[in-house]
Amino acid sequence: MLAYLAKRLGQLVVVGFIISILVFLLVHLLPGDPTVVILGPNDTAHNRALLLAQLGLNKPLYQQYWIWISHVFSGNLGESYVTHESVGHIIATGFPIDLELIIVSQVVAFAVAIPLALFTARRPNRPVDNVATTGTFGLLALPPFVIAPVFVAVFAVALKWFPATGYTSFTTDPATNIHDMILPGLALTAASIAVYYRLLRSDLISTLQEDFITMARSKGLSNRYIMMRHAFRPSTFSLMAAAGVNIGALLAGTFIVEYLFAMNGLGYSIVVAVQQRDYLVIQGIALVVAIAYVVLQFIVDFLFTVVDPRVTRE
Amino acid sequence: MDEGGNRMTMPEPISRRSFLSRSAVAGGAVLLGAGSATGLAACSSSSSSTAGTKAQSGTAGINHGTPKRGGTAIIGNDADIDGFYPPSNHWDNNGFLYANCIYDPLMAVAADGSIQPYLCKSMTPNADYTVWTMTLRPGIQFHDGSALDATVVKNNYDALQASLLTGLALKFLKNVTVVDSMTVNFNLNEPYVPLPAGLATQVGYMVSQSMIDAEKGGNSNPTPVGTGPFVYSSWLPNNHFTAVRNPHYWRSGYPYLDQITFRPIPDHSQRVATLQSGGVDLIVSTDPVTITQFQGQSSYQVVDSLSDTLGEPDMSFIMLNCLAAPMDDLRIRQALAKGINYPAFAKLFDSGLNLATTGLFPPGSKYFSQTGYPTYDPAAAKALVKAYTAEKGTPTFDLATVTDARLTRVTQVLQSMWQAIGCKVNLQAIEQAQLISNTIVGNYQAVTYEQFAAPDPSINYVWWSTTTVAPVGKIALNFARNSDPQIEAALVTGRSSSNPSDVIAAYQKVNERLAVDLPYLWLGRTSWSAVADSRIQNFAGTILPGGKPGKGFDNGSFFSTQIWMEG
Repeated sequence: MLAYLAKRLGQLVVVGFIISILVFLLVHLLPGDPTVVILGPNDTAHNRALLLAQLGLNKPLYQQYWIWISHVFSGNLGESYVTHESVGHIIATGFPIDLELIIVSQVVAFAVAIPLALFTARRPNRPVDNVATTGTFGLLALPPFVIAPVFVAVFAVALKWFPATGYTSFTTDPATNIHDMILPGLALTAASIAVYYRLLRSDLISTLQEDFITMARSKGLSNRYIMMRHAFRPSTFSLMAAAGVNIGALLAGTFIVEYLFAMNGLGYSIVVAVQQRDYLVIQGIALVVAIAYVVLQFIVDFLFTVVDPRVTRE
Repeated sequence: MDEGGNRMTMPEPISRRSFLSRSAVAGGAVLLGAGSATGLAACSSSSSSTAGTKAQSGTAGINHGTPKRGGTAIIGNDADIDGFYPPSNHWDNNGFLYANCIYDPLMAVAADGSIQPYLCKSMTPNADYTVWTMTLRPGIQFHDGSALDATVVKNNYDALQASLLTGLALKFLKNVTVVDSMTVNFNLNEPYVPLPAGLATQVGYMVSQSMIDAEKGGNSNPTPVGTGPFVYSSWLPNNHFTAVRNPHYWRSGYPYLDQITFRPIPDHSQRVATLQSGGVDLIVSTDPVTITQFQGQSSYQVVDSLSDTLGEPDMSFIMLNCLAAPMDDLRIRQALAKGINYPAFAKLFDSGLNLATTGLFPPGSKYFSQTGYPTYDPAAAKALVKAYTAEKGTPTFDLATVTDARLTRVTQVLQSMWQAIGCKVNLQAIEQAQLISNTIVGNYQAVTYEQFAAPDPSINYVWWSTTTVAPVGKIALNFARNSDPQIEAALVTGRSSSNPSDVIAAYQKVNERLAVDLPYLWLGRTSWSAVADSRIQNFAGTILPGGKPGKGFDNGSFFSTQIWMEG
């Protein structure tokens, strides 16, 4: 187990290094003089001097990378050319929003998808299964930009249960924070429910046809016991893999929801930065998101070993 | 007049409030098109309208009854700003909304269009308008306790002149010198009659010496410290800006609110939903639909800019690059102007608000005149294109816009109209910063644009002057690269003449020449509006320090001093 994790950790470091180079080169892929392209209309002497100092653009490439990565490790990702806010602060502000959106949406998705899949997998092709399967198929066709306005019209404007827009940080006011996060979190949930439900149901049906399940039934174990103790665990591989990819995609991938709900998460920040050619912000967020994605996949790999220790032997 | 009623030599009543605002900022960004709520603000900005007709008559946005103290007002605006420092940040209407909390301007626009003293007590020119002497009000302190005096005003202008952003807009200014502790002279390079109007804009907002020093010390975004009714509390970009009551405000009794918060909500429909669900007390919008949606609803107050005839409104238009083929041929510019079916266009996009225009000034403006701007004439347009095609081939060009749903529809409609007269039009949707850069260096043929709101037409000098034209590939503030000596001569007259009829004739000439040169194809005026719930009171009812009513709603911005909350 330890050797397996060490190997994965080593791979993580290598991938992280490659990502850092790619993100670093982002600035250098710009055609022409990067300072002109980056600064655009804000190409003042002050901003140009600041940019040159931050990027060390007059030095050899390897030195520039070293300077930049040194700054990154010391927590200095530069500052926005538009607001002059530190990139570290933008990320520190935006990351919790993405994290909360992910937590709310994924907790709800698992809470709906898993019981539903456990129930319908035992009775496939019955009316409940057909309704659930068709319903989740419909959910797949409902993107957040369709769901969000509907939720806002019903739960914010008509019923006034939740705010239509806005975000209060958890540290400022925990109750308001949770209240603010419910609608945007739910707007992100639909597709996840559909994917998780369909994967788990399919795997459960397959698992329930295995010999060891037949053996368990022959021993007179209850269906509930068989589902929870024998069938569920080996049926979660696809679910975990999908969740890993899905959660990774949601990191900074929630722009639409953040835009609609006026939340300054990473997704919203990076899109605004792209519109404003605020490259250090793009660079900083891209680096953090990419690293977070890799770490997430490492965690998923680790969870595989917990669910099925045989993975480490393979 | 100064506040004591003495004559303060002013050329004429002037309306709007923006100077740098959406325009003059050298190298600054430009709001790119109607409905574009994204970002950068800059070249154009605040200011055109007064409160709409209902507000002026006291039925919406104005309540001069007994105000209640306390409470928090929450405003839903369409975008955030890039900072609070006038020399280096680009203020659009959102910039002025924020600035009116923290700072005060030297001058302000009154409801009757005249320019009135705000932080200053009086401002008087010499005989040829090359030196203006300004006396400050006594006893005004910044939030850090320092005094507003002549030295800090001079230092503000030193910083503004040194900035690449604001320096170009102040090219007419030689320097500001201290006369005594409360008096400064504005020494100009040339006569500038409407100077007070310019001081009612971004370059007229005074910041503390501590801010100037902090910026000089390398802090490019110093904590804002002004003399305004509210003290900076917190700003989290794209989340909120909050300011709390200034207990030592120099205007006795003001402000009424304990706190004011601004929440940028970029999506228009979500901004409306937030108002309807009680998340904010007031929203600001440029979408014509907002006006038609809320008009007549008793639970909401609607103030708009539609009836504003002071100065010059925000204009939506297609800008043509007069130095890039095929737009360098007047026949094509004429054909494109004649090829737009304006009634059909208005029916599609202005929600019945009659925003169509044939020039810079709306009917009712003192500068309005019949311009001879081309009307819809597809047969004539086809003939012009045919003549061009016979000589140079089919006119083919890119029509660029930002990635905005409404503007995309606008360009699609124009594409179909222009293809019908024989042009080949390729649509481009590109991000705003890139589009701004393209227009500055002339790397475009046709582009959607929104610009020109100003308290005085003279403020738009840099956009139309022959002195700011440059070849394609070079930076030019005359983005359309239209070089017309008659326009230049008229613009010079407009800035330097103290005879109102000469000034009016000069800007009518500019307007007429633009209809001949056709660097801009007018699509309409921008419809600013503010919609508020019944709790927030008097947001458009500002009273200036001298006692005159101020221009309450000015192209998406207003003062916060006089606002109070009911219940």
